[in-house]
Amino acid sequence: MSDLGLPASAEALRRIREDPHRLGHRAHGPQEPIQGAGHGVTGPAQKRIIVAYGFWIFLLSDIVMFACFFAAFAVQRGATAGGPGPQDVVEVPRVALQTAALLLSSYTCGLSFAATNARNKLWTQVFLLATGLLGLAFVAMEVQEFVSLASCGITPQRSGFLTAFFGLVGLHGLHVTVGGLWLLTMMAQLQVKGFRREIMHRLLCFNLFWHALDIVWIGIFTIVYLMGTVP
Amino acid sequence: MSDLEYDPHNYSSVLDAREDHAPGDEPHESAGHWVLNANLGLGLSVVLTAAAFWAAQADIIYGPAIPVALVVLAIAQMGVHLVFFLHVTTGPDNTNNVLALAFGVLVVFLIVAGSIWIMHNLDYNMMPMDELMRMAR
Amino acid sequence: MFGKLSWSAIPVSEPIPLITSIVLILVIVGVLGLVTVKGWWPYLWREWITSVDHKRIGIMYCLLGVVMLIRGFADAVMMRTQQAAAIGDAHGYLPPEHYNQIFSAHGTIMIFFAAMPLVIGFMNFVTPLQLGVRDVAFPTLNSVSFWLTASGALLVNISLFIGEFARTGWLPYPPLSQTTYSPGVGVDYYLWAIQISGVGTLMTGINFVTTVLKMRCPGMSYLRMPMFCWTTLAASLLIVAVFPILTATLAMLSLDRYFGWHYFTNTAGGNPMMFMNLIWAWGHPEVYILVLPAFGIFSEVFSTFSGKPLFGYRSMVAATLFICIVAMMTWLHHFFTMGSGPAVNTAFGISTSIIAVGTGVKIYNWIFTMYGGRVRFSVPMLWSLGFIFTFVIGGMTGVLLAVPPADFLVHNSMFLVAHFHNVIIGGVVFGLFAGLDYWFPKAFGFRLHEGWGKAAFWFTFFGFWITFMPLYILGLQGMTRRLQHINIEEWRPMLLLSVLGVAVIAAGVVCQVVMLVVSILKRDQLRDVTGDPWDGRSLEWATPSPAPFFNFAVMPNVEGEEAYWGIKLRAIDTQQLSPEPKYEPIEMPVRSPVGFYTAFFATVTGFALVWHIWWLAGLGLAAAFAGFVVFAWRDVHEYHVPVEEVARVDRARRAAREAVLARLAQQATPS
Repeated sequence: MSDLGLPASAEALRRIREDPHRLGHRAHGPQEPIQGAGHGVTGPAQKRIIVAYGFWIFLLSDIVMFACFFAAFAVQRGATAGGPGPQDVVEVPRVALQTAALLLSSYTCGLSFAATNARNKLWTQVFLLATGLLGLAFVAMEVQEFVSLASCGITPQRSGFLTAFFGLVGLHGLHVTVGGLWLLTMMAQLQVKGFRREIMHRLLCFNLFWHALDIVWIGIFTIVYLMGTVP
Repeated sequence: MSDLEYDPHNYSSVLDAREDHAPGDEPHESAGHWVLNANLGLGLSVVLTAAAFWAAQADIIYGPAIPVALVVLAIAQMGVHLVFFLHVTTGPDNTNNVLALAFGVLVVFLIVAGSIWIMHNLDYNMMPMDELMRMAR
Repeated sequence: MFGKLSWSAIPVSEPIPLITSIVLILVIVGVLGLVTVKGWWPYLWREWITSVDHKRIGIMYCLLGVVMLIRGFADAVMMRTQQAAAIGDAHGYLPPEHYNQIFSAHGTIMIFFAAMPLVIGFMNFVTPLQLGVRDVAFPTLNSVSFWLTASGALLVNISLFIGEFARTGWLPYPPLSQTTYSPGVGVDYYLWAIQISGVGTLMTGINFVTTVLKMRCPGMSYLRMPMFCWTTLAASLLIVAVFPILTATLAMLSLDRYFGWHYFTNTAGGNPMMFMNLIWAWGHPEVYILVLPAFGIFSEVFSTFSGKPLFGYRSMVAATLFICIVAMMTWLHHFFTMGSGPAVNTAFGISTSIIAVGTGVKIYNWIFTMYGGRVRFSVPMLWSLGFIFTFVIGGMTGVLLAVPPADFLVHNSMFLVAHFHNVIIGGVVFGLFAGLDYWFPKAFGFRLHEGWGKAAFWFTFFGFWITFMPLYILGLQGMTRRLQHINIEEWRPMLLLSVLGVAVIAAGVVCQVVMLVVSILKRDQLRDVTGDPWDGRSLEWATPSPAPFFNFAVMPNVEGEEAYWGIKLRAIDTQQLSPEPKYEPIEMPVRSPVGFYTAFFATVTGFALVWHIWWLAGLGLAAAFAGFVVFAWRDVHEYHVPVEEVARVDRARRAAREAVLARLAQQATPS
């Protein structure tokens, strides 16, 4: 560029206009990506990205909290205090049904997100409802599990192992329940307000939340239930 | 040109949108793309889940290795969820998300592995709690 | 109907809490009465309580922190005087049951409700200004965070006159903290206060990670951020990583206490040692959350008051991130003596020694920043120099403690107490005082009185050493911590010397209060007219003092490190400001009462849970949820600031700066 014989000031102005942050030569047209974009040098990111990224960070912090309960479970696995052990609390058929319900709910959640992207209110609501119902089925089965265990005297007050078991599984169930309440609120808001910007952001966040819950469940059914059946 | 001037027309947010995404956020992808992702995700997850349930009770895997197999299958399924449902990829538009995830995984690893290691050593070295309580009486 | 709550909860038989409570209630009623009589409520509600402006929230955090710092200091005075008085046959004036509550409250308040709010207050106030943006990523969430923290502080203070506080120390180790040995409400007050404020802090962490990573003005790449923003990022990453551990662990203890579960009991398979493990996995990164922003403040102060760019910026960034990651790998050094054995102890002893390397890099960089510069010994610089001296010695005692065999001798002795006060006061408190003096003009438009500030520094600095040097000696002589009564006569001289030190620190506190009062009275003489009283180098000094609510009329373009310095030099060089920019209307977030509302019901719920008033707890939760839904239903999130207002504020700023340029030009030309 410097051999074009332009006066220095005009050259400097041109350089500033084309590449004011000296990020690198913008060789292509205006639709091409600028080097350094995505690294925050082009100013604050869009609201949608900010909201979803912040929620992603929150999810990671939530997973750290689950990690503590996992650690407690790992440490207290053998602390049965002469009472029931892993084999006595695990019922594989019900766990399989719960896993299927939650996995399918993740699938329907993904489909609802596809409908959201297509701005199709009907199908979004249909799939959100399906997600909610499957989540409800999951929670119902879990409650049924806890009640039937309690009726056999298998309660968290019995031993360290049972405390850790009920704590971890219960915490996850609590998250699913709260997620369900959130889902209901979202469906109501979506119905009333349509696909407004804030609603889109919240649907994005809800999506992340629901899938993260399924990821945590993968950890739970593997470590708590399946490994519990292995002698 | 003013030093304190930022001309918003120079940097259209369209460019930003192509270069940086939050997890699960790809505004230019079609609905079909998402449905395909969901289908693939479901398919792979079903396979991995079934494999885990089966491995836990079948005889085909060497006994002591079953927990390892279950963990491997779980990690694989978590990866499937991350890629197909959460759309966390390794592209340059997802770097921030992947770094955040890596940080989270590090913290989880430190807590879980650290706690297990420490508590195991304590368990080995220290008097069991019921004996301690008996001594205290 | 009211659970465990009854009239016997009010401490009529204990004079000290009773009198303190009465005095405090009178003061609070007096203040509220004054505000009502003067008709300030609408202004306070509109401009402060419902504000989502990061600057207002930052100031409120700092105010909360300073008030609680004084309360924590009062607890400290009581502790030191009790120990000096209760030697041999004498028994002091605080019975053991009361003394235990005091040292527990002292630690809890100082860490959670003095240091954390102050540090977060600075992060709030300064970070968006330095990044060249208008607010944080989630302004309303920011308000919620503050009010939840305030709610926690309120609960701790309520325990002073309704019920009791925990007697377990600032970390409630089981089995002492289980219902068997702590059947009262003290531990429950602690648990709910910390859980509620912990949620607030976690939200702050998320807010700032997102702000620093996703919201910077154009041209500000990662390596052009001021150092304070890097330390904000590192501290916020640590908050996000470790506060969930605190939440989880305290939740487990709550489950044990409320439902008879067996996480940490000493029967039926509970494991009390797991509590220590988890709580310190939070506790060690917590102190780095406190000290990293303080390090950031020092980076700003050293470079500004030496007139030089920070030495070794990249190594500083690397050291900060190094400390951030390694901080999560050292927590066992808090319980070397619990019996994990040589392999585990060695590993964590090594990691603890390694983390000192990061801090060492920083110390050298600060010293090299001063070298070759024109150092101005202003009040922030004095605090910074005091920090270098104090913190390095405190750090050395820390490396001593990092060696497990040495730690076996001094664990939980006064040596440990002296060490952590050394690094927290020398590092965090000195940093906060430096920052208060440094950024006060930006917040309020006038500087703090320099004479009283220097007096405050010298009293505090010498007072600190006179207080804590004896404690190091006592620790090496074998004195354990948390003693309500001392049997060993030989320790008397050191204990008395320590009380003398406390008196000197108290003089320093008085100087700070006088400094504030005098500065307010003399504010017209101390007015900061230009917005740049210290010849600053980062973007917050480009705004007028106090900064307008939208921070920048036009978002700045950043072209190098030290974003403002280049702009300023060019203006002085060319003897003119850059041309007036094209003003446009600005979008700002609307204010919201949801923070105050949520915290109000959080306090109600917390209080109800402490006293087992189940219906009230349920009601509080339902009300909080309802409030949330109502808030989420709002249609208007932002409002537009008209061009005229933006232009008016910015033209005033430009006029002030032009006046400075004219004055500089006049000084330059010989008359």
